[in-house]
Amino acid sequence: MKDYVATIIKNEQIAENVYAVTFDLGEEAKVRCGQFGNISVGETHLLRRPIAICKAEGNEVTFCYQIKGEGTQKLKTMGAGTKLNVLMPLGNGFYVEEEEKKVALVGGGVGVFPLISVLRAYASTKEISAYIGYRNKAAVCGVEEFAKAQKFLLVTDDGSYGSQMNAVQAFEADLAKGNRPDVVLACGPTPMLRALKTLVERENLNCYVSLEERMGCGIGACLVCVCNMTDGKRARVCKDGPVFNSRDVSL
Amino acid sequence: MANLSVNLCGVNFKNPVIAASGTYGFGREFNELYDIGKIGGVSTKGMTLEPRLGNPVPRIAESRGVILNAVGLQNPGVEHFIENDLEWLKATGTVVIANVAGKTLDDYAGICARLDGLVDMIELNISCPNVKSGGMAFGIKPESVEQVTRAAKSALKVTPLIVKLSPNVESIAENARAAERGGADCISLINTLTGMAIDIERRKPIIANNTGGVSGAGVKPIAVRMVYEASQAVKIPVIGMGGITCAEDAIEFLMAGAAAVQVGTANFTDPYAMPKIIDGLNAWCDKHGIANVSELTGTLQLNQR
Repeated sequence: MKDYVATIIKNEQIAENVYAVTFDLGEEAKVRCGQFGNISVGETHLLRRPIAICKAEGNEVTFCYQIKGEGTQKLKTMGAGTKLNVLMPLGNGFYVEEEEKKVALVGGGVGVFPLISVLRAYASTKEISAYIGYRNKAAVCGVEEFAKAQKFLLVTDDGSYGSQMNAVQAFEADLAKGNRPDVVLACGPTPMLRALKTLVERENLNCYVSLEERMGCGIGACLVCVCNMTDGKRARVCKDGPVFNSRDVSL
Repeated sequence: MANLSVNLCGVNFKNPVIAASGTYGFGREFNELYDIGKIGGVSTKGMTLEPRLGNPVPRIAESRGVILNAVGLQNPGVEHFIENDLEWLKATGTVVIANVAGKTLDDYAGICARLDGLVDMIELNISCPNVKSGGMAFGIKPESVEQVTRAAKSALKVTPLIVKLSPNVESIAENARAAERGGADCISLINTLTGMAIDIERRKPIIANNTGGVSGAGVKPIAVRMVYEASQAVKIPVIGMGGITCAEDAIEFLMAGAAAVQVGTANFTDPYAMPKIIDGLNAWCDKHGIANVSELTGTLQLNQR
Protein backbone atom coordinates (compact mmCIF):
# COMPACT_ATOMS: atom_id res chain seq x y z
CA MET A 1 0.00 0.00 0.00
CA LYS A 2 1.28 3.40 -0.98
CA ASP A 3 -0.22 6.85 -1.46
CA TYR A 4 0.69 7.50 -5.09
CA VAL A 5 0.62 10.94 -6.65
CA ALA A 6 -1.02 9.62 -9.79
CA THR A 7 -1.41 11.47 -13.09
CA ILE A 8 -4.56 11.00 -15.14
CA ILE A 9 -3.75 9.69 -18.62
CA LYS A 10 -7.35 9.45 -19.76
CA ASN A 11 -10.78 9.70 -18.19
CA GLU A 12 -13.69 8.85 -20.45
CA GLN A 13 -17.25 7.67 -20.46
CA ILE A 14 -17.65 3.95 -21.24
CA ALA A 15 -21.39 3.49 -20.62
CA GLU A 16 -24.33 5.49 -19.35
CA ASN A 17 -23.17 7.06 -16.08
CA VAL A 18 -19.98 4.97 -16.04
CA TYR A 19 -16.45 6.29 -16.60
CA ALA A 20 -13.00 4.73 -16.81
CA VAL A 21 -10.00 6.66 -15.51
CA THR A 22 -6.44 5.55 -16.20
CA PHE A 23 -3.59 6.86 -14.08
CA ASP A 24 0.17 6.81 -14.48
CA LEU A 25 1.53 5.92 -11.03
CA GLY A 26 5.11 6.77 -11.97
CA GLU A 27 6.16 3.26 -11.00
CA GLU A 28 4.81 -0.26 -11.15
CA ALA A 29 2.41 -1.27 -8.38
CA LYS A 30 1.97 -4.87 -7.31
CA VAL A 31 -1.76 -5.41 -7.55
CA ARG A 32 -3.83 -8.53 -6.93
CA CYS A 33 -7.08 -8.85 -8.84
CA GLY A 34 -10.06 -7.63 -6.83
CA GLN A 35 -8.12 -5.05 -4.84
CA PHE A 36 -9.12 -1.39 -4.79
CA GLY A 37 -7.74 2.11 -4.51
CA ASN A 38 -8.89 5.02 -2.34
CA ILE A 39 -8.92 8.02 -4.64
CA SER A 40 -8.77 11.62 -3.44
CA VAL A 41 -10.78 13.97 -5.64
CA GLY A 42 -9.04 16.98 -4.13
CA GLU A 43 -9.26 19.01 -0.93
CA THR A 44 -12.91 19.92 -1.50
CA HIS A 45 -13.85 16.43 -0.32
CA LEU A 46 -12.70 15.02 3.00
CA LEU A 47 -13.36 11.38 2.19
CA ARG A 48 -11.63 9.53 -0.60
CA ARG A 49 -13.58 7.39 -3.04
CA PRO A 50 -12.89 3.66 -2.77
CA ILE A 51 -12.99 2.24 -6.29
CA ALA A 52 -12.15 -1.23 -7.60
CA ILE A 53 -9.06 -1.65 -9.72
CA CYS A 54 -10.11 -2.86 -13.13
CA LYS A 55 -6.72 -3.14 -14.82
CA ALA A 56 -3.09 -2.70 -13.72
CA GLU A 57 -0.34 -2.91 -16.30
CA GLY A 58 3.15 -1.58 -15.79
CA ASN A 59 2.88 1.94 -14.36
CA GLU A 60 -0.74 2.27 -15.43
CA VAL A 61 -3.85 1.50 -13.46
CA THR A 62 -7.47 1.80 -14.56
CA PHE A 63 -10.51 2.29 -12.36
CA CYS A 64 -14.10 2.20 -13.61
CA TYR A 65 -16.64 4.17 -11.64
CA GLN A 66 -20.30 4.97 -11.66
CA ILE A 67 -21.39 8.58 -11.15
CA LYS A 68 -23.05 8.38 -7.75
CA GLY A 69 -22.55 11.63 -5.87
CA GLU A 70 -20.50 14.81 -5.74
CA GLY A 71 -17.14 13.05 -5.55
CA THR A 72 -17.59 10.98 -8.69
CA GLN A 73 -19.24 13.99 -10.42
CA LYS A 74 -16.04 15.91 -9.75
CA LEU A 75 -13.79 13.02 -10.75
CA LYS A 76 -15.45 12.71 -14.17
CA THR A 77 -14.57 16.32 -15.00
CA MET A 78 -10.85 15.77 -14.43
CA GLY A 79 -8.77 15.59 -17.57
CA ALA A 80 -5.42 14.18 -18.59
CA GLY A 81 -2.53 15.62 -16.61
CA THR A 82 -4.53 16.09 -13.39
CA LYS A 83 -2.65 14.74 -10.38
CA LEU A 84 -4.60 12.96 -7.65
CA ASN A 85 -3.58 11.01 -4.58
CA VAL A 86 -4.43 7.33 -4.92
CA LEU A 87 -3.86 5.06 -1.92
CA MET A 88 -3.49 1.53 -3.26
CA PRO A 89 -3.57 -1.41 -3.51
CA LEU A 90 -6.04 -1.99 -0.67
CA GLY A 91 -7.99 -5.01 0.50
CA ASN A 92 -7.37 -8.72 0.04
CA GLY A 93 -8.52 -9.34 -3.55
CA PHE A 94 -9.55 -12.55 -5.28
CA TYR A 95 -7.38 -15.64 -5.23
CA VAL A 96 -7.93 -18.80 -7.25
CA GLU A 97 -6.35 -21.98 -5.86
CA GLU A 98 -4.10 -24.12 -8.02
CA GLU A 99 -6.57 -27.02 -8.10
CA GLU A 100 -9.48 -24.79 -9.06
CA LYS A 101 -9.43 -25.04 -12.84
CA LYS A 102 -12.94 -23.97 -13.82
CA VAL A 103 -13.82 -20.49 -12.66
CA ALA A 104 -17.23 -18.85 -12.92
CA LEU A 105 -17.43 -15.04 -12.78
CA VAL A 106 -20.84 -13.68 -11.81
CA GLY A 107 -21.09 -9.90 -12.02
CA GLY A 108 -23.79 -7.29 -12.05
CA GLY A 109 -23.72 -3.54 -12.71
CA VAL A 110 -20.53 -1.80 -11.56
CA GLY A 111 -19.62 -5.09 -9.89
CA VAL A 112 -18.32 -6.28 -13.24
CA PHE A 113 -15.13 -4.19 -13.02
CA PRO A 114 -13.23 -6.10 -10.32
CA LEU A 115 -14.09 -9.24 -12.29
CA ILE A 116 -12.30 -7.79 -15.33
CA SER A 117 -9.15 -7.76 -13.19
CA VAL A 118 -9.77 -11.43 -12.34
CA LEU A 119 -10.19 -12.30 -15.98
CA ARG A 120 -6.94 -10.57 -16.87
CA ALA A 121 -5.09 -12.35 -14.06
CA TYR A 122 -6.34 -15.86 -14.79
CA ALA A 123 -7.40 -15.96 -18.47
CA SER A 124 -4.27 -17.87 -19.50
CA THR A 125 -4.28 -20.47 -16.71
CA LYS A 126 -7.95 -21.12 -15.94
CA GLU A 127 -11.10 -22.05 -17.83
CA ILE A 128 -13.30 -19.02 -17.23
CA SER A 129 -17.05 -18.64 -17.73
CA ALA A 130 -18.41 -15.13 -17.27
CA TYR A 131 -22.07 -14.45 -16.46
CA ILE A 132 -22.45 -10.72 -16.63
CA GLY A 133 -25.62 -8.73 -16.10
CA TYR A 134 -26.47 -5.09 -16.79
CA ARG A 135 -29.59 -3.03 -16.22
CA ASN A 136 -30.02 -2.32 -19.93
CA LYS A 137 -28.11 -1.87 -23.19
CA ALA A 138 -26.96 1.64 -22.27
CA ALA A 139 -25.18 0.27 -19.18
CA VAL A 140 -23.23 -2.38 -21.09
CA CYS A 141 -19.43 -1.98 -21.02
CA GLY A 142 -16.31 -4.09 -20.80
CA VAL A 143 -17.61 -6.52 -23.42
CA GLU A 144 -14.25 -6.72 -25.22
CA GLU A 145 -12.63 -7.80 -21.93
CA PHE A 146 -15.18 -10.49 -21.07
CA ALA A 147 -15.03 -11.78 -24.64
CA LYS A 148 -11.60 -13.17 -23.66
CA ALA A 149 -13.31 -15.71 -21.39
CA GLN A 150 -13.90 -19.24 -22.69
CA LYS A 151 -17.60 -18.63 -22.21
CA PHE A 152 -19.32 -15.26 -21.94
CA LEU A 153 -23.02 -14.83 -21.27
CA LEU A 154 -24.18 -11.21 -21.29
CA VAL A 155 -27.71 -10.54 -20.04
CA THR A 156 -29.78 -7.46 -19.24
CA ASP A 157 -32.65 -6.86 -16.81
CA ASP A 158 -34.87 -5.53 -19.60
CA GLY A 159 -33.66 -7.76 -22.42
CA SER A 160 -32.41 -4.81 -24.49
CA TYR A 161 -29.06 -6.63 -24.96
CA GLY A 162 -28.71 -10.41 -24.59
CA SER A 163 -31.33 -12.47 -22.80
CA GLN A 164 -33.72 -10.85 -20.34
CA MET A 165 -32.52 -12.12 -16.97
CA ASN A 166 -29.98 -11.30 -14.31
CA ALA A 167 -26.43 -12.67 -13.96
CA VAL A 168 -27.38 -15.15 -11.23
CA GLN A 169 -30.19 -16.56 -13.35
CA ALA A 170 -27.78 -16.89 -16.29
CA PHE A 171 -25.33 -18.75 -14.09
CA GLU A 172 -28.08 -20.95 -12.65
CA ALA A 173 -29.35 -21.87 -16.12
CA ASP A 174 -25.85 -22.91 -17.20
CA LEU A 175 -25.37 -24.85 -13.97
CA ALA A 176 -28.57 -26.77 -14.77
CA LYS A 177 -26.94 -27.81 -18.06
CA GLY A 178 -24.17 -29.47 -16.06
CA ASN A 179 -21.54 -26.71 -16.35
CA ARG A 180 -20.27 -26.81 -12.80
CA PRO A 181 -17.31 -24.59 -11.85
CA ASP A 182 -14.70 -25.35 -9.17
CA VAL A 183 -15.08 -21.85 -7.77
CA VAL A 184 -17.44 -18.90 -8.24
CA LEU A 185 -16.17 -15.31 -7.96
CA ALA A 186 -18.78 -12.59 -7.80
CA CYS A 187 -19.36 -8.89 -7.38
CA GLY A 188 -22.50 -6.81 -7.71
CA PRO A 189 -25.44 -5.32 -5.86
CA THR A 190 -26.31 -6.92 -2.50
CA PRO A 191 -29.64 -8.45 -3.68
CA MET A 192 -27.74 -10.17 -6.50
CA LEU A 193 -25.09 -11.51 -4.12
CA ARG A 194 -27.80 -12.65 -1.72
CA ALA A 195 -29.48 -14.66 -4.49
CA LEU A 196 -26.11 -16.09 -5.49
CA LYS A 197 -25.30 -17.06 -1.90
CA THR A 198 -28.55 -19.02 -1.68
CA LEU A 199 -27.83 -20.74 -4.99
CA VAL A 200 -24.22 -21.73 -4.25
CA GLU A 201 -25.15 -23.01 -0.80
CA ARG A 202 -27.87 -25.16 -2.33
CA GLU A 203 -25.46 -26.42 -5.00
CA ASN A 204 -22.59 -26.77 -2.52
CA LEU A 205 -20.24 -24.59 -4.60
CA ASN A 206 -17.27 -22.67 -3.26
CA CYS A 207 -17.95 -18.98 -3.82
CA TYR A 208 -16.21 -15.70 -3.07
CA VAL A 209 -18.03 -12.37 -3.13
CA SER A 210 -16.59 -8.86 -3.24
CA LEU A 211 -18.57 -6.42 -1.11
CA GLU A 212 -19.08 -2.68 -1.29
CA GLU A 213 -19.63 -0.33 1.65
CA ARG A 214 -19.25 3.35 2.48
CA MET A 215 -15.70 3.71 3.81
CA GLY A 216 -13.73 6.05 6.03
CA CYS A 217 -10.00 5.39 6.13
CA GLY A 218 -9.97 2.50 3.63
CA ILE A 219 -7.14 0.77 5.50
CA GLY A 220 -8.88 -0.92 8.42
CA ALA A 221 -8.46 1.62 11.20
CA CYS A 222 -11.82 3.32 11.59
CA LEU A 223 -14.34 0.42 11.57
CA VAL A 224 -16.78 2.34 9.37
CA CYS A 225 -17.24 -0.20 6.55
CA VAL A 226 -18.15 -3.37 8.38
CA CYS A 227 -20.20 -6.35 7.23
CA ASN A 228 -21.98 -8.98 9.28
CA MET A 229 -20.35 -12.39 9.48
CA THR A 230 -22.27 -15.62 9.92
CA ASP A 231 -20.47 -16.23 13.24
CA GLY A 232 -22.06 -13.09 14.67
CA LYS A 233 -18.90 -10.98 14.42
CA ARG A 234 -18.30 -8.00 12.18
CA ALA A 235 -15.49 -7.74 9.66
CA ARG A 236 -13.93 -4.73 7.94
CA VAL A 237 -14.82 -4.66 4.25
CA CYS A 238 -11.73 -2.57 3.42
CA LYS A 239 -9.13 -4.65 5.26
CA ASP A 240 -10.53 -8.14 5.95
CA GLY A 241 -12.29 -7.99 2.55
CA PRO A 242 -13.59 -6.75 0.22
CA VAL A 243 -13.54 -10.43 -0.86
CA PHE A 244 -15.13 -12.93 1.50
CA ASN A 245 -16.13 -16.56 1.20
CA SER A 246 -19.90 -16.38 0.70
CA ARG A 247 -20.35 -18.89 3.54
CA ASP A 248 -18.74 -16.49 6.01
CA VAL A 249 -20.83 -13.36 5.37
CA SER A 250 -24.49 -12.75 5.98
CA LEU A 251 -25.90 -10.59 3.23
CA MET B 1 14.83 22.53 14.64
CA ALA B 2 12.37 23.76 17.23
CA ASN B 3 11.77 21.75 20.37
CA LEU B 4 8.34 20.23 19.72
CA SER B 5 8.13 18.22 22.92
CA VAL B 6 5.38 18.96 25.41
CA ASN B 7 4.64 17.65 28.88
CA LEU B 8 1.08 17.01 29.98
CA CYS B 9 0.41 15.79 33.51
CA GLY B 10 3.97 14.47 33.78
CA VAL B 11 3.75 12.56 30.50
CA ASN B 12 6.33 13.55 27.93
CA PHE B 13 5.20 13.78 24.29
CA LYS B 14 7.75 14.00 21.42
CA ASN B 15 5.44 16.52 19.83
CA PRO B 16 1.95 17.84 20.54
CA VAL B 17 0.22 15.94 17.71
CA ILE B 18 -1.95 13.03 18.87
CA ALA B 19 -4.15 10.72 16.80
CA ALA B 20 -7.81 11.22 17.73
CA SER B 21 -9.77 8.27 18.99
CA GLY B 22 -11.75 6.30 16.43
CA THR B 23 -9.85 7.41 13.36
CA TYR B 24 -6.66 5.51 13.98
CA GLY B 25 -7.64 2.11 15.43
CA PHE B 26 -4.76 0.98 17.63
CA GLY B 27 -2.22 2.37 15.18
CA ARG B 28 -1.32 -0.80 13.30
CA GLU B 29 -2.73 0.20 9.91
CA PHE B 30 -1.10 3.64 9.85
CA ASN B 31 2.17 2.04 10.94
CA GLU B 32 2.16 0.27 7.56
CA LEU B 33 2.43 3.74 6.01
CA TYR B 34 4.87 5.43 8.41
CA ASP B 35 6.55 4.85 11.75
CA ILE B 36 3.85 5.91 14.22
CA GLY B 37 6.55 6.28 16.86
CA LYS B 38 7.10 9.70 15.24
CA ILE B 39 3.75 11.08 16.34
CA GLY B 40 3.15 12.50 19.79
CA GLY B 41 0.53 10.02 20.91
CA VAL B 42 -2.30 7.72 19.94
CA SER B 43 -5.72 7.88 21.53
CA THR B 44 -7.05 4.39 20.87
CA LYS B 45 -10.37 3.37 19.42
CA GLY B 46 -12.96 3.85 22.20
CA MET B 47 -13.03 0.74 24.35
CA THR B 48 -15.53 -0.81 26.72
CA LEU B 49 -15.18 -3.62 29.27
CA GLU B 50 -17.01 -6.05 26.96
CA PRO B 51 -16.68 -6.27 23.16
CA ARG B 52 -19.28 -4.28 21.21
CA LEU B 53 -20.59 -4.75 17.66
CA GLY B 54 -21.47 -1.09 17.10
CA ASN B 55 -24.14 0.32 14.82
CA PRO B 56 -25.51 -1.01 11.52
CA VAL B 57 -24.06 0.37 8.24
CA PRO B 58 -23.88 2.85 6.58
CA ARG B 59 -21.87 4.45 9.33
CA ILE B 60 -20.46 7.43 7.43
CA ALA B 61 -21.55 10.26 5.17
CA GLU B 62 -19.95 13.37 3.77
CA SER B 63 -21.31 16.89 3.67
CA ARG B 64 -19.39 19.93 2.40
CA GLY B 65 -16.34 20.45 4.58
CA VAL B 66 -17.34 17.81 7.10
CA ILE B 67 -18.11 14.15 7.56
CA LEU B 68 -20.65 12.45 9.79
CA ASN B 69 -20.01 9.12 11.47
CA ALA B 70 -21.90 6.76 13.71
CA VAL B 71 -19.71 3.73 14.28
CA GLY B 72 -21.23 3.21 17.72
CA LEU B 73 -18.21 2.14 19.75
CA GLN B 74 -17.53 -1.13 17.92
CA ASN B 75 -14.52 -2.51 19.77
CA PRO B 76 -13.01 -5.85 20.77
CA GLY B 77 -13.17 -5.10 24.50
CA VAL B 78 -10.43 -3.88 26.81
CA GLU B 79 -9.01 -7.36 27.52
CA HIS B 80 -8.44 -7.94 23.82
CA PHE B 81 -6.58 -4.63 23.65
CA ILE B 82 -4.41 -5.51 26.65
CA GLU B 83 -3.58 -8.94 25.24
CA ASN B 84 -3.07 -8.06 21.59
CA ASP B 85 -2.27 -4.40 21.05
CA LEU B 86 -0.95 -2.73 24.18
CA GLU B 87 2.63 -3.99 24.20
CA TRP B 88 2.97 -3.49 20.46
CA LEU B 89 1.66 0.07 20.66
CA LYS B 90 3.93 0.94 23.60
CA ALA B 91 6.93 -0.45 21.73
CA THR B 92 6.39 2.03 18.88
CA GLY B 93 7.50 4.77 21.29
CA THR B 94 4.37 6.88 20.97
CA VAL B 95 2.36 7.94 24.02
CA VAL B 96 -0.47 5.46 24.57
CA ILE B 97 -3.80 7.01 25.55
CA ALA B 98 -6.61 4.52 26.17
CA ASN B 99 -9.97 5.98 25.19
CA VAL B 100 -12.68 4.35 27.32
CA ALA B 101 -16.46 4.40 27.51
CA GLY B 102 -19.18 2.69 29.49
CA LYS B 103 -22.86 2.56 30.37
CA THR B 104 -22.65 3.06 34.11
CA LEU B 105 -20.39 4.73 36.66
CA ASP B 106 -19.20 1.24 37.63
CA ASP B 107 -18.25 0.53 34.00
CA TYR B 108 -16.12 3.69 33.91
CA ALA B 109 -14.49 2.90 37.25
CA GLY B 110 -13.94 -0.74 36.22
CA ILE B 111 -12.24 -0.03 32.92
CA CYS B 112 -10.08 2.70 34.49
CA ALA B 113 -8.99 0.34 37.27
CA ARG B 114 -8.12 -2.32 34.67
CA LEU B 115 -5.94 0.08 32.66
CA ASP B 116 -4.36 1.94 35.57
CA GLY B 117 -0.59 1.75 35.28
CA LEU B 118 -0.75 -0.07 31.94
CA VAL B 119 -1.14 2.95 29.65
CA ASP B 120 0.34 6.44 29.67
CA MET B 121 -3.00 8.25 29.95
CA ILE B 122 -6.70 7.44 29.96
CA GLU B 123 -9.19 9.50 27.99
CA LEU B 124 -12.74 9.30 29.27
CA ASN B 125 -15.27 9.26 26.46
CA ILE B 126 -18.37 10.76 28.01
CA SER B 127 -19.47 12.33 24.80
CA CYS B 128 -20.01 9.70 22.13
CA PRO B 129 -23.14 10.97 20.37
CA ASN B 130 -23.77 7.75 18.49
CA VAL B 131 -24.84 5.24 21.10
CA LYS B 132 -27.47 5.54 23.79
CA SER B 133 -25.10 3.92 26.24
CA GLY B 134 -21.91 5.57 25.05
CA GLY B 135 -21.59 7.93 27.92
CA MET B 136 -23.26 10.87 26.18
CA ALA B 137 -25.78 10.96 29.02
CA PHE B 138 -22.86 11.66 31.37
CA GLY B 139 -21.38 14.27 29.09
CA ILE B 140 -24.18 16.81 28.88
CA LYS B 141 -24.85 18.18 32.35
CA PRO B 142 -22.03 19.54 34.52
CA GLU B 143 -23.27 17.55 37.55
CA SER B 144 -22.93 14.22 35.71
CA VAL B 145 -19.61 15.24 34.12
CA GLU B 146 -18.27 15.80 37.59
CA GLN B 147 -19.79 12.56 38.89
CA VAL B 148 -18.38 10.30 36.16
CA THR B 149 -15.00 12.03 36.33
CA ARG B 150 -14.86 11.41 40.08
CA ALA B 151 -15.84 7.75 39.63
CA ALA B 152 -13.07 7.26 37.06
CA LYS B 153 -10.48 9.23 38.99
CA SER B 154 -11.12 7.30 42.20
CA ALA B 155 -10.29 4.07 40.33
CA LEU B 156 -6.92 5.42 39.19
CA LYS B 157 -3.78 5.38 41.29
CA VAL B 158 -1.11 6.35 38.78
CA THR B 159 -2.43 6.99 35.28
CA PRO B 160 -3.43 10.59 34.53
CA LEU B 161 -7.03 11.12 33.46
CA ILE B 162 -8.20 13.12 30.44
CA VAL B 163 -11.91 13.88 30.19
CA LYS B 164 -13.12 14.34 26.61
CA LEU B 165 -15.88 16.92 26.48
CA SER B 166 -18.91 17.03 24.23
CA PRO B 167 -19.66 20.24 22.31
CA ASN B 168 -23.38 19.42 22.38
CA VAL B 169 -23.83 21.25 25.67
CA GLU B 170 -25.15 24.49 27.12
CA SER B 171 -21.84 25.80 28.43
CA ILE B 172 -18.49 24.28 27.55
CA ALA B 173 -16.82 26.36 30.29
CA GLU B 174 -19.19 24.95 32.94
CA ASN B 175 -18.53 21.39 31.82
CA ALA B 176 -14.77 21.98 31.72
CA ARG B 177 -14.90 23.27 35.31
CA ALA B 178 -17.04 20.28 36.30
CA ALA B 179 -14.43 17.87 34.95
CA GLU B 180 -11.71 19.75 36.82
CA ARG B 181 -13.73 19.61 40.05
CA GLY B 182 -14.25 15.88 39.54
CA GLY B 183 -10.50 15.38 39.50
CA ALA B 184 -9.60 15.38 35.80
CA ASP B 185 -5.90 15.89 35.16
CA CYS B 186 -6.57 17.19 31.66
CA ILE B 187 -9.51 17.82 29.33
CA SER B 188 -9.79 17.23 25.61
CA LEU B 189 -12.30 18.78 23.23
CA ILE B 190 -14.26 18.83 21.06
CA ASN B 191 -15.88 15.49 20.42
CA THR B 192 -18.17 15.49 17.37
CA LEU B 193 -21.23 17.69 16.96
CA THR B 194 -24.46 15.77 16.45
CA GLY B 195 -25.74 16.13 12.89
CA MET B 196 -27.83 14.58 10.14
CA ALA B 197 -27.42 14.18 6.37
CA ILE B 198 -30.36 13.15 4.19
CA ASP B 199 -30.53 11.15 0.98
CA ILE B 200 -33.30 13.16 -0.69
CA GLU B 201 -34.14 10.44 -3.23
CA ARG B 202 -34.89 7.96 -0.45
CA ARG B 203 -36.11 10.64 2.00
CA LYS B 204 -34.04 8.93 4.65
CA PRO B 205 -30.91 9.80 6.62
CA ILE B 206 -27.79 8.42 4.91
CA ILE B 207 -26.44 7.01 8.16
CA ALA B 208 -28.27 3.95 9.53
CA ASN B 209 -28.22 5.49 13.01
CA ASN B 210 -30.06 8.54 11.52
CA THR B 211 -27.76 11.02 13.28
CA GLY B 212 -23.98 11.04 13.33
CA GLY B 213 -21.09 12.94 14.82
CA VAL B 214 -19.93 15.82 12.62
CA SER B 215 -16.19 16.33 12.27
CA GLY B 216 -13.66 17.63 9.80
CA ALA B 217 -12.37 20.98 8.55
CA GLY B 218 -15.77 22.68 8.74
CA VAL B 219 -16.10 22.35 12.52
CA LYS B 220 -12.75 24.01 13.26
CA PRO B 221 -13.96 27.54 14.15
CA ILE B 222 -16.48 26.11 16.60
CA ALA B 223 -13.80 23.91 18.13
CA VAL B 224 -11.27 26.75 18.41
CA ARG B 225 -13.84 28.93 20.19
CA MET B 226 -14.71 26.13 22.61
CA VAL B 227 -11.06 25.31 23.32
CA TYR B 228 -10.51 29.00 24.08
CA GLU B 229 -13.51 29.14 26.43
CA ALA B 230 -12.63 25.88 28.18
CA SER B 231 -8.98 26.76 28.63
CA GLN B 232 -9.98 30.10 30.16
CA ALA B 233 -12.20 28.23 32.62
CA VAL B 234 -9.70 25.69 34.00
CA LYS B 235 -6.12 25.43 35.24
CA ILE B 236 -5.54 21.85 34.00
CA PRO B 237 -4.06 21.36 30.52
CA VAL B 238 -6.33 21.25 27.48
CA ILE B 239 -5.99 19.05 24.39
CA GLY B 240 -7.67 20.71 21.41
CA MET B 241 -9.22 19.07 18.40
CA GLY B 242 -11.85 19.58 15.74
CA GLY B 243 -11.08 19.88 12.04
CA ILE B 244 -7.29 20.15 12.25
CA THR B 245 -5.92 19.53 8.76
CA CYS B 246 -2.54 21.29 8.69
CA ALA B 247 0.09 22.76 11.00
CA GLU B 248 -1.49 26.23 10.84
CA ASP B 249 -4.75 24.77 12.15
CA ALA B 250 -2.88 23.12 15.02
CA ILE B 251 -1.22 26.44 15.87
CA GLU B 252 -4.64 28.12 16.14
CA PHE B 253 -5.62 25.57 18.77
CA LEU B 254 -2.34 26.02 20.66
CA MET B 255 -2.77 29.78 20.69
CA ALA B 256 -6.38 29.37 21.82
CA GLY B 257 -5.09 27.55 24.88
CA ALA B 258 -4.37 23.94 23.97
CA ALA B 259 -1.17 22.28 25.19
CA ALA B 260 -1.50 19.57 22.55
CA VAL B 261 -3.84 18.71 19.69
CA GLN B 262 -5.56 15.69 18.24
CA VAL B 263 -6.04 14.95 14.55
CA GLY B 264 -8.91 12.76 13.40
CA THR B 265 -10.80 13.22 10.15
CA ALA B 266 -7.71 14.53 8.34
CA ASN B 267 -6.24 11.02 8.61
CA PHE B 268 -8.94 9.87 6.18
CA THR B 269 -8.33 12.67 3.69
CA ASP B 270 -4.57 12.21 3.77
CA PRO B 271 -3.16 9.21 5.63
CA TYR B 272 0.09 11.15 6.03
CA ALA B 273 -1.67 14.17 7.61
CA MET B 274 -0.08 13.75 11.03
CA PRO B 275 3.59 13.51 10.02
CA LYS B 276 2.97 16.49 7.69
CA ILE B 277 1.47 18.53 10.55
CA ILE B 278 4.47 17.72 12.75
CA ASP B 279 6.90 18.79 10.00
CA GLY B 280 4.82 21.91 9.41
CA LEU B 281 4.85 22.84 13.10
CA ASN B 282 8.61 22.59 13.14
CA ALA B 283 8.94 24.75 10.02
CA TRP B 284 6.51 27.38 11.37
CA CYS B 285 8.31 27.58 14.70
CA ASP B 286 11.69 27.93 12.98
CA LYS B 287 10.36 30.65 10.69
CA HIS B 288 8.89 32.56 13.64
CA GLY B 289 11.85 32.13 15.96
CA ILE B 290 9.95 29.91 18.40
CA ALA B 291 12.41 27.67 20.24
CA ASN B 292 9.79 25.58 22.09
CA VAL B 293 6.38 24.83 20.66
CA SER B 294 4.96 24.94 24.19
CA GLU B 295 5.57 28.70 24.17
CA LEU B 296 2.60 29.07 21.82
CA THR B 297 -0.02 27.75 24.22
CA GLY B 298 -2.54 30.36 25.26
CA THR B 299 -0.79 33.26 23.53
CA LEU B 300 -3.94 34.48 21.80
CA GLN B 301 -4.50 38.21 22.15
CA LEU B 302 -8.15 39.14 21.80
CA ASN B 303 -9.10 42.24 19.84
CA GLN B 304 -10.00 45.18 22.04
CA ARG B 305 -13.71 45.87 21.70
